[in-house]
Amino acid sequence: MAWLEVSLTLEGEAAEAVAEVLARFAPGGVVLEQGVRFNDAEDEGTPVGPVTVKAYLEADAAIEERRQKLEEALYFLGRIRPIPEPRYQWIQEQNWMEAWKAHYRPLEIGARLLILPAWMESPASERIILRIDPGMAFGTGTHPSTQLCLELMERLQPFPERVIDVGCGSAILSIAALRLGARKALGVDIDALALENARENARLNQVDETLILGHGSVGEIRRGEFAIQNAPLVLANILAPVLSRLLDEGLGELVAGGGFLLLSGILQEQRAPLLQKATEKGFHLVESAERGDWVALLLRRGHS
Amino acid sequence: MAKKLKAIVRLQLEAGKANPAPPVGPALAGHGINIMAFCKEYNARTANRAGEIIPAEISIYTDGSFTFVLRTPPASVLLKKAAGIDKGSSAPNKDKVGKVTRAQIREIAELKMKDLNAVDLEGAMRQIEGTARSMGIVVVD
Repeated sequence: MAWLEVSLTLEGEAAEAVAEVLARFAPGGVVLEQGVRFNDAEDEGTPVGPVTVKAYLEADAAIEERRQKLEEALYFLGRIRPIPEPRYQWIQEQNWMEAWKAHYRPLEIGARLLILPAWMESPASERIILRIDPGMAFGTGTHPSTQLCLELMERLQPFPERVIDVGCGSAILSIAALRLGARKALGVDIDALALENARENARLNQVDETLILGHGSVGEIRRGEFAIQNAPLVLANILAPVLSRLLDEGLGELVAGGGFLLLSGILQEQRAPLLQKATEKGFHLVESAERGDWVALLLRRGHS
Repeated sequence: MAKKLKAIVRLQLEAGKANPAPPVGPALAGHGINIMAFCKEYNARTANRAGEIIPAEISIYTDGSFTFVLRTPPASVLLKKAAGIDKGSSAPNKDKVGKVTRAQIREIAELKMKDLNAVDLEGAMRQIEGTARSMGIVVVD
């Protein structure tokens, strides 16, 4: 079976009316896609600019007739407010359940790690395999901020026995820490859905007995709500403004004396102010890693 | 900053009926989104609202992970309900199919205010009125 994709790119206000027209011909529903703008450093993204409205018409015997009726409806709508010509594209039926998986492939990280999508067979490899099921949690392994963290982590010798991962997302970093030699790890996140994904990944990697996962952040850990209150390695791969705020809330206090704090999710221009703040909190820079615009900082508690 | 967010996709679907067929499949597969995870979560969250069109606004991150929130029904759906009609006019500039009052427009605008890019309620009302006109629905005082 094939589908006729109908799409129009237009300003936000008209998008709703066009979506209404398209929905009459595509009972499965319509899609509205918009770009993203960042208002300030804290903004995770605000929809902005033109909206592309899409619908999919099943290519049955009546497709030409429906296309004509759709064009008529759009023509009349165009008499009220200007709208662009629709664009058409034939889409062949495919196994959509599988198609998205093409975006993921085994990823070698640093010298020792290999990230493998959950559905792939284990390849013959000397590397430590981290299995991740991409879903509703940040940390599939394809983002530079995650990769930089993993690269800096794998160089730690001997590997710290306990690890805390603040904003753990998919728990990829906690899982890596346990596979690299940690005996116990605590991963916390304020997003309940991320924790579900983290639990699934912990099971996939058979670390569900050594990885404690919980809802919360720095405050909850400091208040003793989890079995681990401090660790010789604390990880936080979030965003620089959040890292800065967490440092003020006592992120550094979670690091045992002489231990390491690994911060990631930092853009080049945010490196200096964040490093300064970490220094004020009693840390010094051991090593940093960069990829594209992103930087990760490995810091140590105490004076150099 | 916050380069982690890549795109925002809104899917207007019927509650409890998300499945990998178009529009969900082609809209999400290209972004590397776990389609089954989305369908399962959407259907679970909308299970008790059968028959309603409930948009899901999906935030897609640069590493293929995603989150989504449910939005208020599209203005067009609320307008049809307010006007007591099944569908909008196919020739809205000449064939009028229903009426709504300004008070109903205000009610819809208030409900949808948080989902619209309007600076104030007046702006939101103008957007809803525009949608009504383009559906062949007349706004009366």
